[in-house]
Amino acid sequence: MKSVPDLVAGGIFVLIGGAFVVGSLSYELGTPLRMGPGAFPLLVGAIVAALGLAIAVKGLVAGEVAEFGPIPWRAIAAIVAALLFFGFTVRGLGFVPTSAVTALLTTLASKRVRLLAALAVTGGLTVAATLIFVVGLQLRIPLFGPWLGL
Amino acid sequence: MDLLDNLALGFSTALLLENVVYCFIGVLLGTMVGVLPGIGPTATVAMLLPITFNFEPVTALIMLAGIYYGAQYGGSTTAILINLPGESSAAVTALDGHEMARQGRAGAALAAAAIGSFVAGTVATVVLAVAAPPLARVALQFGPAEYFSLVLFGLIVSIALARGSTLKALAMIALGVLLGTVGQDLYTGEPRFTFDQRELYGGIDFVSVAVGMFGVAEILRNLENEAGRTALVSTVRNLWPTREDRRRIVAPIARGTVLGSALGVLPGGGHVLASFTSYAVEKRVSKRQQEFGHGAIEGVAGPESANNAAAQTSFIPLLTLGLPAHPVMALMVGAFIVHGITPGPNVIADEPALFWGLIASMWIGNVLLVLLNLPLIGIWVRMLRIPYQVLFPMIILFAAIGTYSLGFNAFDVYAIVFFGLLGYVLIKCGCEPAPLLLGFVLGPLIEENLRRAMIISRGDATVFLTRPLSAVLLALAAGALVLAVLPAIRKRREVVFTEDD
Amino acid sequence: MTTPRTFRMIAAIGVLSLAAACGSNGGGGAPQAGGGAYPEQNITIVVPFSAGGPTDTVTRMIAEPMAAKLGGKIVVQNVEGAGGTVGAGEVANANPDGYTVLMHHIGMSTAPALYSNLGYKPLESFEMVGLVTEVPMTIVARKDFEPATLQDLVTYVKANSAKVTLANAGVGAASHLCGLLFQTATGVKLQEVPYKGTGPALTDLVGGQVDFMCDQTTNTSGQISAGEIKAYAVTTPERVKSLPDLPTTAEAGLPGMEVSVWHGLYVPKGTPQDVVAKLTDALKTALADQKVVDQMAKLGTAPVKAEDATPEAHKKKLEEQLGVWGKVIADAGVKAQ
Repeated sequence: MKSVPDLVAGGIFVLIGGAFVVGSLSYELGTPLRMGPGAFPLLVGAIVAALGLAIAVKGLVAGEVAEFGPIPWRAIAAIVAALLFFGFTVRGLGFVPTSAVTALLTTLASKRVRLLAALAVTGGLTVAATLIFVVGLQLRIPLFGPWLGL
Repeated sequence: MDLLDNLALGFSTALLLENVVYCFIGVLLGTMVGVLPGIGPTATVAMLLPITFNFEPVTALIMLAGIYYGAQYGGSTTAILINLPGESSAAVTALDGHEMARQGRAGAALAAAAIGSFVAGTVATVVLAVAAPPLARVALQFGPAEYFSLVLFGLIVSIALARGSTLKALAMIALGVLLGTVGQDLYTGEPRFTFDQRELYGGIDFVSVAVGMFGVAEILRNLENEAGRTALVSTVRNLWPTREDRRRIVAPIARGTVLGSALGVLPGGGHVLASFTSYAVEKRVSKRQQEFGHGAIEGVAGPESANNAAAQTSFIPLLTLGLPAHPVMALMVGAFIVHGITPGPNVIADEPALFWGLIASMWIGNVLLVLLNLPLIGIWVRMLRIPYQVLFPMIILFAAIGTYSLGFNAFDVYAIVFFGLLGYVLIKCGCEPAPLLLGFVLGPLIEENLRRAMIISRGDATVFLTRPLSAVLLALAAGALVLAVLPAIRKRREVVFTEDD
Repeated sequence: MTTPRTFRMIAAIGVLSLAAACGSNGGGGAPQAGGGAYPEQNITIVVPFSAGGPTDTVTRMIAEPMAAKLGGKIVVQNVEGAGGTVGAGEVANANPDGYTVLMHHIGMSTAPALYSNLGYKPLESFEMVGLVTEVPMTIVARKDFEPATLQDLVTYVKANSAKVTLANAGVGAASHLCGLLFQTATGVKLQEVPYKGTGPALTDLVGGQVDFMCDQTTNTSGQISAGEIKAYAVTTPERVKSLPDLPTTAEAGLPGMEVSVWHGLYVPKGTPQDVVAKLTDALKTALADQKVVDQMAKLGTAPVKAEDATPEAHKKKLEEQLGVWGKVIADAGVKAQ
């Protein structure tokens, strides 16, 4: 009886825990009196990796068979793209264009999106966000950024 | 009696029209920024601080305090409605609160949170008025060793936040602690796991983790089966708590209030422990343990009460000793100074009107919050009728803006992507995000206090056992671990037995 | 979409009522006639530390009178991180047009020694506008700590160097630097206990968990006058008004131990000289403002003398301090990175 989710979860924990263990070795470990920056991450990283191993072993031996279920690739792509776009351009393009494109990209995450609806949502959200964050809360992000040469 | 005179002075100050108005503006702004993901009370108070320079000192502090506890109120709204906690305490509320919302009982959840908060706020205000100075003295007994043991206890307790496997919950807690080590080391200044990115020196922001693991992961899950799902919520059942609900929330509110009031006094991290210790307690004492995580109203009422009580009593170290327990309070120290009041133990004697006025205003603020929030419940619940195709882009966009506004740091937005994907995969593997979030919040505290205790004890690890308070807390932690692991082992045995039959 | 609209209204009402309530605040009069166009837009002063801290408070105090003099609006922005180097780096790379100004403290002179890949050079990446204030520091201890005077303290730490704990507010914080200087001045190496900021450090000092520390008067004077902690000396050549009974380090027998948290204003290298001159002029006006003097007095400090609020004096101070701290930090073997 193998449980794929258990194996994946265990693998992630081992991977991240292991990476932190390796990383922490490059920092000083110190003494018990004055622990260095590496000591605590080393300890916790080892615990995470050990727990991950336990989860994986348990999944191999006595896992409950579970389906992973469908993965919404389209939604993942759209939302990741939207957030990365926001981070990359908000300084350069400014608040309004960045918000609009981010909103538009996000609406594409749904399979049932229709162009007109998406544009309406984009427009509405951009206006709402501008009014709430820039007008209302006085956020110091320029409405239109330097890249637009305005 | 002195206390009555003092309270009379306090209320006569707090009830001045100007002070009531600014108290209202404070709690209103607090509620708003609490509702929006990202922009928290700290940023808001920082933004408004210069404006308050022109106010009377007591008015300024009343408004700033109002923003702080108002935000604690508002944060639960977003957590319940769209599973987007802005603070660690709200992550606890999201567990059962959002489940209730999915079952069409958002109104009941919001009302339970509001009523619980009000009761807790009222009781905590009384505690503050009656016993602030002695409680502050007790809090000072907590040194690094005690905080280490307390936080370790808290970490173990947070296993209760997960419905499923104890092993996975433990792994998620440890992973959270591990992620909390990213950033500049407090003791040496050495940047750890920052890949030479100066933006990461300050560590990963909690909001990024919460927005990613709760908000984005949740949206991805909702978009898995679009054909099968049209709206977020089936049907809105009753807007208000039923008689049964009201019966069920009484004891959790009482317990949460006591627990929160006590923990809130501890300046070194007691406040963050309040809501999820309360959740763990409720889950343990409840006869309906299986309902927790699936919309148990006790899981909303208890933690919300604990959180609000703690928010209130965490002012005790500030007001009686001038020692801030939270970044917002550090800002309030700034406000004291600007107004020429030296924060410290002398404030009570030198500025009685300010001290008692501020305490009285907290109760008034709680009344205003209930008056403000109960009518809003209808509007909030209606928001759930917004088609999901509008709602999820709104969540993503607002979350991105809010998170970015924290420090105008694009890394905080990229972190959402990372934690959204990580959270989504882990949730699909049966690992729940709440324990990770709490590990993330408590991890830095545990490392900081562990190392500090070791330095002060000159490398003697027995200090954790020889200091009585610390020893008791460690014993409690060990007990909690056994309690958490035992049922899992017992269940395994049962499974084995059934298979043998 | 009722909700966002309601929201917006609430937001707008809230902010408008606040704006109305504070009336004249920060608005500033009409631009002054003549003398070029600067400032044509809002000036941002970047504070590389958290809002509400001493540096932020000082900045906000002088921002208003400076804006009034310049005839524009000044916005204070907090860009925290890595001991002030994130904010300083940001200003170093900003347009040298005078619309981005940096307020930094003593940390400007310690960063090169603490951080190896700073990305900017204090003397070369900035134009100095002028010094603002020098906040004195105090040496304080838990109230039941044995030594009674600074002399006693020095003897005591020499005899018990393995036992005594010295708290500070984190690497590169003023309290850390002051602690380093104390160790250099006395020639003793102590167990340092860092905290995340002054608040928690002071909490443990009041609670008696650590022995002593050194911090700005801003943070300590309330606890000192209430008798919650014991004070040994103030680290400036002159006594401070708010604590008249407290001797200076020189009076108490430790003359090598002088340190203050000096603050200065900077603009990016290449900012036109007439713009710098206008900023210096505005700074001088602000520092002479009676309201600013009063507010600073409450902080236990005072504006610098008019001749120090100049680029020349500022540059001299920075050069001197870079030398002092480079040596102290190298001797202590501290490295943030």
